Amino acid sequence: MHETAVPRHPESQQFTLLEARGLSYRYPNGQAALSGVDLTIYEGDRIALIGHNGAGKTTLVKHLNGLYAAQSGELLFHGEPLQDENLKRVRLDIGVLFQDPDDQLFCNTLYEDIAFGPLNQGFTPEEADALVHESARKVGMEELLFKAPHNLSYGQKKRAALATVLSMHPDALILDEPTANLDPRQEEVFTELIREFPGTLIVISHDLTFLYGICDRAVVMEKGGVHHDYTMKELASQRKYLREHGLESSFRFTCCGGHHHEAPTHAHPHSHGRSSSMGAAGGQSDDRPIARQKSGDSDAPLIHLLDYSYRHPDGAWGVRDIHLHVNEGESIAVAGENGAGKSTLARCILGITEGRGSYAFDGKLVTKKNRKALWRQVGMVFQNPADQLFCPSCWEEVAFGPRQMGLPKNEVEARVEEALQAVRLTGYERRAPHHLSSGERKRLAIAAALSIRSRVLILDEPTANLDAGSEDLLFEIISHLPVTKILISHDMALMMALCERAIVLHQGRIIRDYACAELERDVHLTSINGIDYTLKNACRDAMLSLQEGAA
Amino acid sequence: MEPRAEAIRYPLFALLLWGGGAVLAVCLAAAVFRALKARRERLRQFQDDAAPRDWSEPAIDASAHLDSPFHRWDPRVKIVSLLFFIFCVASLARLSTGAAAIGLGLAAARTARIPWSRSFRRLGAMAGFLLMLLIVTPLTAPIHPGDPVVVFEHLEFLPINLRGFFPAGLVCVKAIAIALLMEPLVGTSPLANTMEALAQIGAPRKVGEMILLAHRYVFVFRHEAQRMATSMEVRGFRKRTDMETLRATGNFIGMLLVRSFDRTQRVYEAMLSRGYGETTRSHVAFTARKIDWVKGAFWIAAGVALLVVDHFRGA
Repeated sequence: MHETAVPRHPESQQFTLLEARGLSYRYPNGQAALSGVDLTIYEGDRIALIGHNGAGKTTLVKHLNGLYAAQSGELLFHGEPLQDENLKRVRLDIGVLFQDPDDQLFCNTLYEDIAFGPLNQGFTPEEADALVHESARKVGMEELLFKAPHNLSYGQKKRAALATVLSMHPDALILDEPTANLDPRQEEVFTELIREFPGTLIVISHDLTFLYGICDRAVVMEKGGVHHDYTMKELASQRKYLREHGLESSFRFTCCGGHHHEAPTHAHPHSHGRSSSMGAAGGQSDDRPIARQKSGDSDAPLIHLLDYSYRHPDGAWGVRDIHLHVNEGESIAVAGENGAGKSTLARCILGITEGRGSYAFDGKLVTKKNRKALWRQVGMVFQNPADQLFCPSCWEEVAFGPRQMGLPKNEVEARVEEALQAVRLTGYERRAPHHLSSGERKRLAIAAALSIRSRVLILDEPTANLDAGSEDLLFEIISHLPVTKILISHDMALMMALCERAIVLHQGRIIRDYACAELERDVHLTSINGIDYTLKNACRDAMLSLQEGAA
Repeated sequence: MEPRAEAIRYPLFALLLWGGGAVLAVCLAAAVFRALKARRERLRQFQDDAAPRDWSEPAIDASAHLDSPFHRWDPRVKIVSLLFFIFCVASLARLSTGAAAIGLGLAAARTARIPWSRSFRRLGAMAGFLLMLLIVTPLTAPIHPGDPVVVFEHLEFLPINLRGFFPAGLVCVKAIAIALLMEPLVGTSPLANTMEALAQIGAPRKVGEMILLAHRYVFVFRHEAQRMATSMEVRGFRKRTDMETLRATGNFIGMLLVRSFDRTQRVYEAMLSRGYGETTRSHVAFTARKIDWVKGAFWIAAGVALLVVDHFRGA
């Protein structure tokens, strides 16, 4: 039986900003997205909008911003229905930061993008100019005002997108997955910017630790409706609430990802009484399967890069002086700030790019001739599965690799069946990859790599933008894959839970190569490359302490 | 009595010799170019102390930040007067006046301080079409009495009318002159300013907005295509001449279109959420000074002069 939590009725806030009464919405294909949503948002609220993928969060915020009209029910802005002039006003007074900054930055220079909103608000070009400079200064991008968005880094694009909204001085700010794919340093910068925003805040995110740091109210959505309305502390303190709504990843709220034996000096303020709540994944480091045995030279590491460097065509260093060995069966985390060279290193290991230096795979030197055959040994799951999935059906997607290998039809069929089963997508054969959920697409991308039976699997941010349920399932699948794993991630909890060893890249060079548990304790990283996990860790520890207090 | 066409006969091996020589020369030039490029790339990989270069991708208005008489020119006057000049060049009927237009185009490109490489790349993009025109027109031009015609042995059914080279050459000369003016025209102001200027002189504003959006998202589209191509390569895709390659390429293009369609919807929503509507305001304001009108008058006068010379010398 589902326990109903007490709805939150703030007493301190008097003025209602937005109010939804029985709001319902169906997509043109008949699918219900919202059903009878009742929600009151007060001025000054800082709301975390939480729920599974597909729970209706994005559809709701598109209503709140006036992008979608209510099909049934009522939506009020400052007590008046969202119609005509009030509709125009809500679009200008409620700012939305969309998930993909490339959607938000649609002009040819950052200046034009930031000026777009204020000009539509009726400001003169001179007034708009002042607002542009003010917003750009706030996000630390004044010197990049005349740069084209496609020439900005991802972190810069995210901040630029925020500036486009801040320049309109909105009453409320709606943020859709604002910190997804940002490195910890960029995330902290972004978090500070959001904290400084004085108005109402509505944040959609799957990252509870981030939400805990900036929100005081948690609205949980499920199946198109508002399921619960808590204070953030209430939600965070009750593990049962988190479990009820599938908001807690089993590996995320376990200290050190379960690697206590590898982190003897780590302080565990929340360790007492935690053992019972460790969950199955807490001890997953112990029951992970052993990868298959080496097939080549028994002494040689599977991957051996020696003094390896690569430069991009524009002359910038991708990776420099890389010395790296990876043994068969190892799981290695690759950390580093955005632009540190993680993806370039992956491309070098995949054989897509050729630098200088020595690269040996399974004891054999990788030459120009055999480099093109590396794809049979090394597979990759890309950060955005949309980049990887291009076939009309899941079956064809998974069969693509084996077909390229020239395997007979029955062997292709057997491999597809096996790979889909491994990622629990049996029965999805005829479905279009484009119509799958984010979690399912990630799993399909893994199946596509598994069907080639590569010995090494590179995973680039596998859990980004996934809800806790999808994250858990994916984690379980990945942790049981019998291959050598190279995990590129900014997610400390995932790295700790999945890997034994971590390397840290900075400006293309490997600056650390140690046990994963040491990464969490490495306070010097902040001064070297600005990577700082302390904020996240502090939030996580605070949440764990709350849960222990409540238990 | 009309004079008959003059047929100059050559043996077939002369065609093979000339044609083969031309193809060989083109292949040799391409091979040398590729070898030099590969060598430069290899050298760069081993050059430890080479300073990192700007990794920005070139845009249409990549040179808009420079300073020149074209950059300081009011875009509205610039567009009107240069377009008038371009129409005059397109109306020329003589190679000599076309060559003069090329001279003016070169002078304009030099004055605008735009790197020659950009102008040459633009010319290079047209080279294939112009080359095809130079090959096809002499073969398809109707033969009139008095036309010089070249005929190869055993290929009498395929006479080459040398008169055909004249219209083809004229088109090439005019195309080169106009292409040289494109950089001073669209590359010397930010694209948004050029589009705003076009709107202010009467062009539909929606068209300008569409051009701006297309220019913005062509880079995003390119990056998406590159990432998808990489993911295909990682899964063993190699271009071959078989059905599998055709199917994979079709899927690739289809998925790019689907993703673009989805992005279009998202971008439109992002625009609406920031107040996009019936009236679009611009942050750009233009003021035409005396010098702008003088520059405009110069290009209009130059166009008229070319037309007059072309007409009277032709007469």
